[in-house]
Amino acid sequence: MKRIIVLGILIIICFVLQTSLLPLIEIANINPNLLLILTVSFGLMRGRMEGMFVGFFCGFLYDIYFGFIIGPYMLIYMLIGYCNGFFHRLYQVDDILLPVIIMIFDDFLFNFSTYLIFFLMRNRLDFVKYLKHIVIPDMFYTAILTVVVFKFFVFVNKTLKKFEKGME
Amino acid sequence: MRRRKKPIDVPPKYILLALTILCVILMVVSLFFDGLSSSLKGITGAIITPMQKGVNSIGTYVEKKVDAFRNYEDVVAENNDLKEQLQSYQSEIKQYQQDSYELNRLKNLYELDSKYPDYKKTVARVIAKDSGNWFDVFYIDKGTDDGVVVGCNVLFGNGLCGIVTDAGTDYAQIRAIIDDTSNVNAMVLPAEAICDVSGSLTNYEDGYLIAENIDKDAEIEEGDEVVTSYVSSKYLAGFTIGYISKIEYDSNNLTKRAYIIPATDFSNIEEVLVVLQTKKNVTD
Repeated sequence: MKRIIVLGILIIICFVLQTSLLPLIEIANINPNLLLILTVSFGLMRGRMEGMFVGFFCGFLYDIYFGFIIGPYMLIYMLIGYCNGFFHRLYQVDDILLPVIIMIFDDFLFNFSTYLIFFLMRNRLDFVKYLKHIVIPDMFYTAILTVVVFKFFVFVNKTLKKFEKGME
Repeated sequence: MRRRKKPIDVPPKYILLALTILCVILMVVSLFFDGLSSSLKGITGAIITPMQKGVNSIGTYVEKKVDAFRNYEDVVAENNDLKEQLQSYQSEIKQYQQDSYELNRLKNLYELDSKYPDYKKTVARVIAKDSGNWFDVFYIDKGTDDGVVVGCNVLFGNGLCGIVTDAGTDYAQIRAIIDDTSNVNAMVLPAEAICDVSGSLTNYEDGYLIAENIDKDAEIEEGDEVVTSYVSSKYLAGFTIGYISKIEYDSNNLTKRAYIIPATDFSNIEEVLVVLQTKKNVTD
C-alpha cells in the first residue's frame, strides 16, 4: 500500500517537473523524457508488473494532458515498462551502465513509435531529418539525465524495501 | 523471479493484455466522445495545475537569479551608460508627448477607418509546455473563469501565436501555429492572395513556416506580410503571422509555396495575449 502511494506521488512529481521545470533547462529545444526514465527504472528494479503499472499511469497523465486522444502514449509507456521487466534479472544495484544503455534504446523506441503513430501516418516521410533533429539529441540528453536521476530512484526503492521488511 | 507472495497471483502477461485492451477501448471511446478527455482532465487538473504553477514560478525565479549573477558586471557598466542616455531621452520625451497628442487625434480618425475591429484581450502566463519534442502545445493559467474558451486566438509579441484547443476553469491548452498539426488560413497582404500556412517540424528547425496553395499568378514578393484571412473559420482576420522570405513553384505548376519567417519568437514564450472574441461571435 505504501509503495502504491509513494509511486503515485513520484509519478505526479515527475510529470509536474517535466512539464514545468524541464522546458526551462532545455538544450537546443530538446527536453529529456523524465517519465520514461521513471518507467524504465522501476521496470528494471522491480520487474514486469511494476514497470507496466508505472508506465500505464505515466502514459495516462501524459495522454490526458497532451494527447489528441487517450491511449497511444499509455500503450507505449506501458509496453516499454513491461518489456524492461525482462531485464530485471540482469539488474544489479550498483550497476549504472545497464540502465543507461537500456534507456538509450528505449528512448529510441519511444520516439520512433511516436513518429510512426503521429507523423508517418500523416505522410511525413523524412525520417532521417527527424532522427537528426529530435531523436538522437533526445536520446543523449535523456541518457545523461538517467545517470543523475536513476540513483535517486534506486534510493527510493531501497527505502521502500526497508519499510516493507519492517512491516512483516 | 517471484520475489514475495502476492495477494492475487495473476501472471503479468494477462494483466498486460487486459490493460492493452483497456487502452484500446479508451482510445476508441475518446475518439468519439470529446467529453471524456476533458472530464478526466478536470479531476487531475485540480491537483496538478496548482503544482505546475508553483514549480513554474520557482523555476522562473531561479533562472532569473542565475542570469542576474552571471550578468552582474555587465549590468553595472550598462547601468552607467543608461543613466547618461536617460538624461537625453527625458528631454526627447517631452517632445514626443507633444507629438503623441497629435498622434492620438489622428489615431482616432484612423480607427474609424480601420479594417479590423478592436478585440478584447487578456494577459495569461504560460505554466506548462508539452515536454515531448514532437509537438508545440502549452498551457496557460487562465481558463473559462476569465472568459477563455476553445477557439480563442492567442497573440504573442506582434503576431499570431496559436489557438486555444481546450479550456478548463483555470487553465487552457494552446496549440502554437508552428505545431506540425496546425493549419491556418491566411493571405498575403498587398496582393490579398489566399494561402494555407501550416506548421512543419522539419521546416521550423530552419526557422520557417510554409504557406501553400498560393495561386500561381498571385503577385507576391519576398518581404510581403502574411496575415490571417477573412475566410478562415477559426482565426480572426488581420493578425500578422510573418513575412515571406522565399517563393517556390510547386511541381504541379498551378500553385506556389512561400517560406515565411514568423513574426513571433516561439523559443521563449512566457506571457501571451488571449483574444477573448472567437470567430463565431464576430459573425453572429
